[in-house]
Amino acid sequence: MVIEVENLVKRYGPVTAVDDISFHVDRGEVFAMLGPNGAGKTTTVEIIEGLRTADSGRVSVLGLDVSRVPADVKQRIGVQLQAPSLLPRLTVGEILTLFASFYRHSLPVHDILELLALTESRKVLVQNLSGGQQQRLSVAMALINDPDIAFLDEPTTGLDPQARRGLWTVIQDMKHQGKTIFMTTHYMDEAERLCDRVAVIDSGRIIALGSPQELIEGYFEEKAIQFEATPPPSEEALRGLPGVTNVVIDASEVVVYSSDIPDTLSSLLRLAETEGLTDQLEDLHVRQATLEDVFLKLTGRRIRE
Amino acid sequence: MKAFRMKAFSRLLLADFKQFLRDRVALFFSFAFPLLFMLIFGLVFSGEENVSYGVGLVSEGDSEAAQMIAQGLQQVPIFEMSEGDLEGKLAELRDGDLRAVVVIPADIDASMAGGRPADITAYYDPTQTTSAQVLLPILREVIGEMNRQLTQQPVPLRLTEESVQVHQLRTIDYMVPGILAMSVLFLGIFGGLPLVEWREKKILKRLGATPLNRATVVCSQVTYRLAVSALQAVIIIVIAYFAFDVHVVGSWLYLFGLLILGTLTFISIGYLAVSRARTTEGAMPIVQLVQFPMLFLSGIFFPADMMPDFMRPIVEAIPLSYLGDGFRQIMVDASPLHPMPLNVAVLAAWLVVSMALTIKLFSWE
Repeated sequence: MVIEVENLVKRYGPVTAVDDISFHVDRGEVFAMLGPNGAGKTTTVEIIEGLRTADSGRVSVLGLDVSRVPADVKQRIGVQLQAPSLLPRLTVGEILTLFASFYRHSLPVHDILELLALTESRKVLVQNLSGGQQQRLSVAMALINDPDIAFLDEPTTGLDPQARRGLWTVIQDMKHQGKTIFMTTHYMDEAERLCDRVAVIDSGRIIALGSPQELIEGYFEEKAIQFEATPPPSEEALRGLPGVTNVVIDASEVVVYSSDIPDTLSSLLRLAETEGLTDQLEDLHVRQATLEDVFLKLTGRRIRE
Repeated sequence: MKAFRMKAFSRLLLADFKQFLRDRVALFFSFAFPLLFMLIFGLVFSGEENVSYGVGLVSEGDSEAAQMIAQGLQQVPIFEMSEGDLEGKLAELRDGDLRAVVVIPADIDASMAGGRPADITAYYDPTQTTSAQVLLPILREVIGEMNRQLTQQPVPLRLTEESVQVHQLRTIDYMVPGILAMSVLFLGIFGGLPLVEWREKKILKRLGATPLNRATVVCSQVTYRLAVSALQAVIIIVIAYFAFDVHVVGSWLYLFGLLILGTLTFISIGYLAVSRARTTEGAMPIVQLVQFPMLFLSGIFFPADMMPDFMRPIVEAIPLSYLGDGFRQIMVDASPLHPMPLNVAVLAAWLVVSMALTIKLFSWE
């Protein structure tokens, strides 16, 4: 175990931001924390990183007590904050050289630039970088000391699809080198694809923890029928269809969860026909439940609001 | 461990300098602004030494005594005399072409013969403070001398004037140490702003996630400010020497010692001023609020005894007054306002107190 969190509590006045959280992360794992804004993700991560102190509970990182020897822990972890936090009047190369000097051991700047496709921007001032380039630079800064654990707070936000896939490769390569990645993300597909385990956190508590597959299977035996219709059919009518376990209507987007897809689907089409909606059912498809569905079911909210 | 901290420190220092050199606003205020200030002052005051005051003379009658007075006035080297009628001369005075108008009455001979004092009237503009301070005493002196000659009285007492100052101080000699003190004030008092910006942009937080300790961050910032301060001082002193012939007569060692002490003091005050400010926009007015009174009440550009009495305690408390006086003593050997050890002690006291308060109050997040 490279991270061990036991009964962590952090309060801000009357608000309990982190409410008795316990979990562990194994070596070589890609671990994600999912949750709506204000759920306590950032506070938890920052306590583990040694940026904040907990009110109670115990955190051990790489076998070290973060509250006792924060500097030793910081030597061996890499941190990317959600805000890029860059010095605007330095170049990409300069800022990486600067950060490399903070550590006893660091990777050659050249290699890191290559890894995050920043070689051509080496001499560009940070203030002239695009949002995506700044985001990649802030990841590069987190990896400059060849950390045993990389903490990445929404690393792919603001990246174009190609850069996103590029970063996924970087994360998978690190995993293969035996490094641990602790990340947060808003992208459920990303979490499903990349992560060995996810913790869903809401109101300062972990409400679900497991591999994406375990979570989906644990919460959904059913599959989902999804379509768009304007106006959408009434919720009661949909709930009355055979096999339906749940219905979520969000504006024109309708998701019907069903444990008996053939039965539900044929009744749905008959319903549409009698109500004269056939022409208006768009993008009708049947899909597996996803982490997004799990999240919705657990928290009653979509992750992006 | 130590070697690796040195590496972080020197990299951080290098980064501070690079960022400074790429910041045009900072460059302007550090170098161009003090020089501009000095050039303007230098040009405005460079003519001061052979200044002359226009004085209008109105003789209402053509008497012997009137001629004598006119001659007496013409002998005053800084008076530029011109004659005319009362109305014309008063108009010139109001337009600011003349500094004073002296009127000799027509009946002067008659009055003197009759043993009555003749009234010689001097018109002046009281808003022109130099007129009141310079012209009137000279006029009194001239008239007094006339009286003595006319009455043929012996001279029981005579004042012999001898300057004890080794070299005559010109206005520019007085200004240059003031400009140096002003640049130290600016450099130091604005020193806290980068940290506020770093705090606001979460750069301090990001640095906090590395093994770098806070002392290294602060030390690199202070060292870089000290270096810029020294560079600024050298440039000001060199330009003052070549453009205005201002010589540093005292010890360079003392000068730079005082410069370092002053810079540290104002950096501390600057840090203290912004220790709780959340944003750069919020910090700026606080810094201005500290800086402006200090600049204008300190007496670095004009003598502090011009201040009203109730301001004196404030003037006496302002550290900039002591820095300016110290620079003035070392650089141009001006007569001290305070003994040198007091200057050093006051600056050091401000340094210690504001540093202690900053350590207590400064919010890192």
